[in-house]
Amino acid sequence: MKKAIVLFLIISMSLILPNFSLAQSKTEILIRNATVLTAVKGNLENTDILIQNGKIAKIGKNLKAAANAQIIDATGKFVSPGIIDAHSHTMLDAINEGSFSVTSMTQIQDVLDPTDISIYRALAGGVTTGNLLHGSANPIGGQNSTVKFKWGKPVGDYLVNDAPPGIKFALGENVKRSNFPPQPGQPTRYPRTRMGTMEVIRDAFIRAREYKQSWDDFKNGKTKVQPRTDVELQPIVEILEGKRLVHAHGYRSDEHLNLLRLAEEFGVRIATLQHGLEAYKIAPEIAKHGAGVSIFVDFWSYKLEAYDTIPHNAYILWKNGVNVSINSDSDERMRRLNIDAAKVMRYGGVPEEEALKMITLNPAKQLGIDKRTGSIEVGKDADLVIWTAHPFSIYSRVETTFIDGEIFFDRTKDAQMRVEMQKERENLEKMEVNRAPGSGGTQPRVPSERRKADRDDAEDGDGGNQ
Amino acid sequence: MKIRIFGIVLLAIALFSTVSAQNRTDVYAVTNARIVTVSGAVIERGTVVVRDGLIESVGADAKIPADARVLDGTGLTVYPGFIDALTSLGIQTPARPQTPGQPQQQNQQPQSNSNYPNGLQPEKTAVEDLRGGDAQFETPRNAGFTTVLTVGNTGIFNGQSAIINLGGESVSAMVVKSPFAQHFSFRNLGITYPASLLGTFSAFRQMLLDAKRLQELQKQYAANPRGMKRPEDDKSLEALFPVINGTMPIVFNANLEREINRSLDLAKEFNLKAIIAGGQEAWKVADRLKSQNVPVLLSMNFPKRTAASSPDADPESLATLRFRAETPKGAAILSQKGVKFAFQSGGMTNLNDFFSNALKATENGLSKDAAIRAMTLDAAEIFGIENRTGSIEPGKIANLTVIRGDVFAKERTVTHVFVDGRLFEMKEKPRTPTTNSGGTTPSTRALAVGGTWNITLEVPGQTIPGTLNLVQQDTTLTGTMSTALTGSSPIKDGKVTAEGFSFSVSVNAGGTNLDLAFNGKVSGNQVSGTVDTPQGVISFTGTKNP
Repeated sequence: MKKAIVLFLIISMSLILPNFSLAQSKTEILIRNATVLTAVKGNLENTDILIQNGKIAKIGKNLKAAANAQIIDATGKFVSPGIIDAHSHTMLDAINEGSFSVTSMTQIQDVLDPTDISIYRALAGGVTTGNLLHGSANPIGGQNSTVKFKWGKPVGDYLVNDAPPGIKFALGENVKRSNFPPQPGQPTRYPRTRMGTMEVIRDAFIRAREYKQSWDDFKNGKTKVQPRTDVELQPIVEILEGKRLVHAHGYRSDEHLNLLRLAEEFGVRIATLQHGLEAYKIAPEIAKHGAGVSIFVDFWSYKLEAYDTIPHNAYILWKNGVNVSINSDSDERMRRLNIDAAKVMRYGGVPEEEALKMITLNPAKQLGIDKRTGSIEVGKDADLVIWTAHPFSIYSRVETTFIDGEIFFDRTKDAQMRVEMQKERENLEKMEVNRAPGSGGTQPRVPSERRKADRDDAEDGDGGNQ
Repeated sequence: MKIRIFGIVLLAIALFSTVSAQNRTDVYAVTNARIVTVSGAVIERGTVVVRDGLIESVGADAKIPADARVLDGTGLTVYPGFIDALTSLGIQTPARPQTPGQPQQQNQQPQSNSNYPNGLQPEKTAVEDLRGGDAQFETPRNAGFTTVLTVGNTGIFNGQSAIINLGGESVSAMVVKSPFAQHFSFRNLGITYPASLLGTFSAFRQMLLDAKRLQELQKQYAANPRGMKRPEDDKSLEALFPVINGTMPIVFNANLEREINRSLDLAKEFNLKAIIAGGQEAWKVADRLKSQNVPVLLSMNFPKRTAASSPDADPESLATLRFRAETPKGAAILSQKGVKFAFQSGGMTNLNDFFSNALKATENGLSKDAAIRAMTLDAAEIFGIENRTGSIEPGKIANLTVIRGDVFAKERTVTHVFVDGRLFEMKEKPRTPTTNSGGTTPSTRALAVGGTWNITLEVPGQTIPGTLNLVQQDTTLTGTMSTALTGSSPIKDGKVTAEGFSFSVSVNAGGTNLDLAFNGKVSGNQVSGTVDTPQGVISFTGTKNP
C-alpha cells in the first residue's frame, strides 16, 4: 500500500520522466530462491543473489540482507546476466555519414537519443548493454559507444566509461552501394568494388601512419610547425596502436579473410567480424587471428552476400575456439535475443551455458567489458534479468531488469504505469492546445500498410542518413 | 546703416527660428500616459520627450518642450520598443547555386571562394544581405517591435547576426550592432559532407581545431616569418577566431533537451560563449544552463496541434501531448532558476501569437514584469546594448511602443511606434469585443493566410516551383516570395482580401527586373490565382505547409 502511494506521488510529480528508478543503487536488494544461470559456473538452483552498491555482493543459499533491503521473491523464476547486444543502432539520431569513404571522425556519442522508446522495449527483452555502432555505408565508419540502457537517466550516465573505444569498418555490398541507386545530384563515391574497399582501408592505415610520424617528428623537435590535429586520422592511429577495437561488418568469407590479412600486415588485430555469415568457412583462420565473430542466428538471404550461411555457423565457430556472440542489429530482434541464443543448441548442439555466453559473457569480452559484466559472479556489476521461465523457453518473459543494481524494467510496475499514462493521456487530450483546430488543419497521420519498427542495416537501406 | 542691417538680420533670424521651431519633426512629447520604463518604477501618469532620435526626458513632471509635437497619451501605456530576439527580417537571400547536372544559368552570382561549402561559411554576415526600406518591416512594427536580431536561416553556420532597428531607408541607418554572434544549426548538407548529424559535429570540431591552429600559426608567422611556410589566409576559419577566443558569442539553435545538452557539451569542449535559441525544452536543462551561464532566446512559437481530427488517424504520442502542455511553463521555470532569457518569435507567421503566448507564460507562473523584461531590457542585456536601449531612460535610443490597453491584454491596440525617434502612427481600429486572441473582430474576420506556401507558377512551357512566406498582421501581409531562379524577394502592398490575398513583388530573373502582381483565392490550405507579369497573365497554385 505504501509503495502504491509512493508510486502515485512519483508518477504525478514526474510526468515528464519516461521512467523512474524504483530502487536506489545505494540500498540492498536481495533476490531470493531463484535458479541462477551464472554463465560461467553452471546453473545454481534455489539460490539467492545479494546486490549491494550496484554490485553482486553475494551468491548463495539463504543469504541475509539488511533490514531495509528490498526483497524480491524469485521462487520458480530464473536469473541470468543482462543480455549484451554487440551490434545495435538503437537510440541514435543519425546512423550513417555516407559522404566520404572514411568517416572515422564521426562519433556515435554525439548523436545519442535517450528518449527512444526502443531502449525501454529492449530492457523488457532483458537487454542491459549495447554496442551502438555507425552504419555500414563506408569502409571505415565512425566511432562507437558502449552503453548501458539506463532508461530515464541523463544520457551521459548511459556511457560505460571504462569500455575501450571502438570503431566500425564495413565490407561488401552496402559499402560499394550495390543495392542503392544513386540519388539525383549525388556524386558517385569510391569504392565501387571489394578491391576498392580494401584499398581505402590500406590507404587510411598508411595516412594514419604518416600522420603519427608527423606528430612524432614535431614532438621530437625535428619539425617546428605543429601538425594539424586531424580528427579523421587520430582514431585510425589508435587502431594501429591497438587502442581502438575494430568491429568489421562483412558477410563473405573472402572479404573477411582479406581484412584479417591486411590488418596483420599493419600489426592490427581485428576485434570482431560483424555478421560473418560465412565465417564458418574460415573458422580456423579467424581463431588463429584472434578475432571474435558476432552473428545472426537465422536471418539470411535478404541480399546476395547474405546467402551462403548455415544455422550451424555458431557451433562450428565455437568448436574452433572462436569467441562467438549473437547480435540483433535491429530494435525488433533485440527483444528476443534469448530465443536466438536457444537456437544454437538446436543446430549443432552448442551446450546450454556456451549458448548463454553468446549473449552475455562473449559479447562482454568482445567489447572489453568482461571484467565488470557479462556473468553472475561476485564483484561484477549487478546487471541481471529475472525471467518467468528459462530464458531459452519460448514461454519465458522478463519480469525485472537490473543495471548496476538499479531496476530499469519491472513488469508489474509497467502494467500500473499503463493505467496511469492512459489517464494522463485523457487529461492531456482535453487541453485546448491538444485539440484539433476547428476548421482546416493538415492531414493527420493515418496508419499505413507497412510499418518499419526497426533500424536494420541489412534491409533496404543501411539505416540511411537519418 | 550697418547696425540697421544687423538688426534686420537678427529679426529675420529670430522670426525664422520661431517658424522653423514650430515645424520641427523630430521632437515629440507623449503626455498623460502610463509609462513602463522597465529600468525603474512604473510612472502612472507622465510624459516622455523624444528629440533627435533619443529620449530626452521621462517622468511624471517632465517638461513638454515648446517645439514638441504633443501626443495625448491619455489611456495609453508607453513601453520600451519591443525586441524580437531572433528573426530573419530584412535578409534577402541570393539565388541558390545550381545543383550539378543542371544547365549553368547566365548572370549567376559568383560562388564564394571559400575553402568550405555553402552552409559552412561562418564569414557570412547578416549585414551584407540586408537591404534598407521601411515597408518591409511594417508587420512587425505594427505589432510593436522596434528592434530585432536578424540572421539568415540557411546552412549549418547561419552567419554573423546583426541587431537592427525596424526603420531606415538605408542599412547603415538600421544597424544597431553588427556582428552580434555566430549562429549554428544542427543541420547537414544533404549530399555532400557533412551529410548527416554525425558529420555536422565532426565538421564543426575540425573547423574549430583548424581555426585555433591557424590563429597560432599566424601569430607565429607574424613574429618571425623567416624559415616558416606562410600560413593560409582562410577567411572562413578567421571568422571563427572571435568565437574560439570567446569574444563573440555563438548561438546554437536547439529546442529539444538533447539538442541543448549537445550544444552545452560543445560549448564546454571548446570553451565557447554560448547562447541557446529556441529552447522549448530549456526548462528541463535549466540547472545546467545556469551553471554554464548560458542565456536563452526563448521561442514564443509554442507548439499547438495543426492536424485535423479523423477517425482513422493514429493517436498522437504522449510525448507530443506533454510537449504542448508543458512548453508554456518553460519561461517561468527558467526565471525561477535564474536563467537569463529573451523572447523571440521563433518563425511564427502571426505575430499576435507572440503576445498571446507571452500572456500564457504569465498565466503559467512567469511574472508580468519578467515577461516585459524578456521583450525589452533582458534582451538588450543579452545583446550587450543595454546601455543604449531596452528601457525608457534619458539618453537612450527613442524606441518606444505605445499601446492602448495592457500589453498582454486580449484587447489591445498599438497606437504609436517610435523607431530611432521616428514616429510611425498606426491606424486605430474601432474597439469591438474579440472572440479570439488574434485581435480580429467577428464581422471583419480576416482569412488566416499567414504561413509558408509551396507554390507553382504555370509559365508557358514550364512550371516553376517557389515558396511564399507570408506574415500576417490583421489584414496586412509582409514576407517573401522565392524561387530558385529569382532568389528571395520581399513582397509589397501585401493585403488579405475577402477571398485570399494579394501582393506585388519585384524580382530579378536572369538579370531582368520584373514587377509581378499576385492575386490568390484561398480555400482551406490551397490557393490558386493569377500573376500579372509584364509579359502577360499566368496562373499559380499552392499548398500551405503545416
